[in-house]
Amino acid sequence: MSSRENSSILHSEAWGISLWATVVFAIGSMLVFLSMQNLVAKDIQRRSDTWLSGEVEVLGDVAGRTPKDRLYDKVVREVAELASREVPNHDRTSGDGSDAVFFLQLGEAGNDNLWVGTADKESAIQAIRTAHPRSDNPFDVKINGLATPFRVATVQTKDGSHIYLGLSERDELHVLRNLRLRFLALWLVIVLLGFAVVFYATWRMLRWVDGIAEAASHIGRSNLNRRVPVPKGRGEVSRLAKTLNQMLNHIEATVEQLHTITDSLAHDLRSPLTAIRGKMEAALIPSASVDPTERIVSAIDQLDRLSNFLDTTLDVSEAKADALRLALTKIDLAGLVRSIAEFFEPSFSERGCALQLRIMEPVYVSADAALLHRVLANLFDNEVKHLRPSCTVCVSVETADGMATVIVEDDGPGFDPDVAAHLFEGRVKNKNSRGHGLGLSFVHAVVRVHGGAVVAANRETGGIRIAVSLPRLPDGELVTSPAVALAAHRRH
Amino acid sequence: MRLLLVEDEVEIQGFVKQSLIDAGWEVQAVDDATSALQEVTKQTFDGLIVDLGLPDLDGIDLLLRLRRSGISAPVLILSARRSVDERVKGLELGGDDYLTKPFAAVELVARMRSLLRRSSRGEESSHLRIDDLELDAVKRRATQNGHLLNLTPQEFLLLEYLCRNAGRVVTRSMLLAEVWGMQFQPDTNMVDVHVYRLRGKIDPEGAESRIKTLRGVGYVFQRK
Repeated sequence: MSSRENSSILHSEAWGISLWATVVFAIGSMLVFLSMQNLVAKDIQRRSDTWLSGEVEVLGDVAGRTPKDRLYDKVVREVAELASREVPNHDRTSGDGSDAVFFLQLGEAGNDNLWVGTADKESAIQAIRTAHPRSDNPFDVKINGLATPFRVATVQTKDGSHIYLGLSERDELHVLRNLRLRFLALWLVIVLLGFAVVFYATWRMLRWVDGIAEAASHIGRSNLNRRVPVPKGRGEVSRLAKTLNQMLNHIEATVEQLHTITDSLAHDLRSPLTAIRGKMEAALIPSASVDPTERIVSAIDQLDRLSNFLDTTLDVSEAKADALRLALTKIDLAGLVRSIAEFFEPSFSERGCALQLRIMEPVYVSADAALLHRVLANLFDNEVKHLRPSCTVCVSVETADGMATVIVEDDGPGFDPDVAAHLFEGRVKNKNSRGHGLGLSFVHAVVRVHGGAVVAANRETGGIRIAVSLPRLPDGELVTSPAVALAAHRRH
Repeated sequence: MRLLLVEDEVEIQGFVKQSLIDAGWEVQAVDDATSALQEVTKQTFDGLIVDLGLPDLDGIDLLLRLRRSGISAPVLILSARRSVDERVKGLELGGDDYLTKPFAAVELVARMRSLLRRSSRGEESSHLRIDDLELDAVKRRATQNGHLLNLTPQEFLLLEYLCRNAGRVVTRSMLLAEVWGMQFQPDTNMVDVHVYRLRGKIDPEGAESRIKTLRGVGYVFQRK
């Protein structure tokens, strides 16, 4: 189990999904950070530029007003040093700020200069001269020997000399580096965490799918009664599992039904086949008591019934599976019942039974002529088979609530109580019956396909009552008479 | 009369061929559709018996090709498929009659005979005379020695069918289908009861019946 789990983790598609998700998230957040950092850097520079411009203005003013005497240097230096203490964005850990600022006054001719700062004066003058863009905006100056560049603002005094105030960008860069470091650390943590979360969620979901696949492969190979695990909730995976299980229920039921059918078919075929074989064998062996012809005749008779049974079985299963094709025509049910009753009447009287018909006017139904014919013939045949002498069978056709109903009643012994509950299931028969007990099952299946219903029960006064109802058609001019219906399938 | 039998199953071909020969026809038997199509170009046949389940071509297709090549002889279809659709299709596409397996040999012969008669003579005569019996199929009247027989309409149809096939065997299922229009095999001895009643009306008292029972097969109406 664990090795399977490991290999399933290693080969899980969750890796791919979470990797893609993480890459997209990482790139996205990085872009957001870069634009934020850009914004912050610009803001810091804007603030230092404002400070520089302000200070250089003040210094220029001071330098302009202060007389050029011995004290000039001292005063200006003092003011410059004071200014350096108010450096913006100042990082207190990096000293008092005096090394962050320089002050330079350059005379018009390049001489007469005043320098306040920690850096090398000559290289500073050199750097400013090469970088000086001759504009009022602050500019960047890279001084030799110093790691960080300076931001320099300039102003021209009344006497034509230039005053330069430089502010080291060290603190600014330091702030930005700090920001970057913290962000990267946080970014890494979030990206890893995100990857883990996405991976876990996807892997968990895919594990259900994998479980379903594994269960399904087992089901395909061996037993149909296994079911795939259903996760909680109403998500897609749970729906998939439920649908799969429903499908499996269906398949199992169908296969079971198929088994039942083949089993009972094998059973139903075996006994008559055994009997037929036995009779044929007996016909070959000379015996004084029984005429061999008699045995062959009996075997043929049985074979006929067997093939008839096969046909009816197939009809019933087709009807049950709604695969029976109906050629619907308008049929006078009353007329059809009458003509079939006429055919069966001699058999009733031969058995000493009476057949009464209570049929008045034509009643039209839409039905498959050949099938309806067989349904009705089955009802009569059933009666002939099961009746004791001197019984009365009463057949009537009634109409009510848009249905036409054929009712067959008798005053015979009625259905056996244990048979009564399973009349329409097929293969139910009386012990003395010669048939296969498919008659009523056939009737039920065919009538159901026609949108009708069959009710069979014992009457309170004794005997049975079978009612076959079919949807009734309104009386019209286009009439297929029973004679035509009979002729129609006589041609076959 | 020469018939062509197209049937691939040896057992069935054998007994069908024998029954047809016994009935007095000349029979050519082939195993598949290809040889059947060759055979019909060599000789003319008065009737064909075609099995639908052939190894090389579906029987329905064979039927179509036969009809397209201008063969108009009646065709009796044999099939193990019992669906109504198949039957309708077979009859629509040029078949003249349809027999589902298993069938009785006498029924096959009877169907073939009626097909050949239909194709050669057309309408059946409305008057029948067998020995002392006289039948008028139009008026549905039967007389014996000039005396009107008191028959029900169904009894008349049964007698008419038996007379038209006098001297030949008819099976119970043929009677059920042709006389009463029953596509149904009763579990009970319905046909026997009807025949028994008819015998009582046409046979002279004490004499042996003209409607003989052939056990396991059916009946035969014998001329005197």
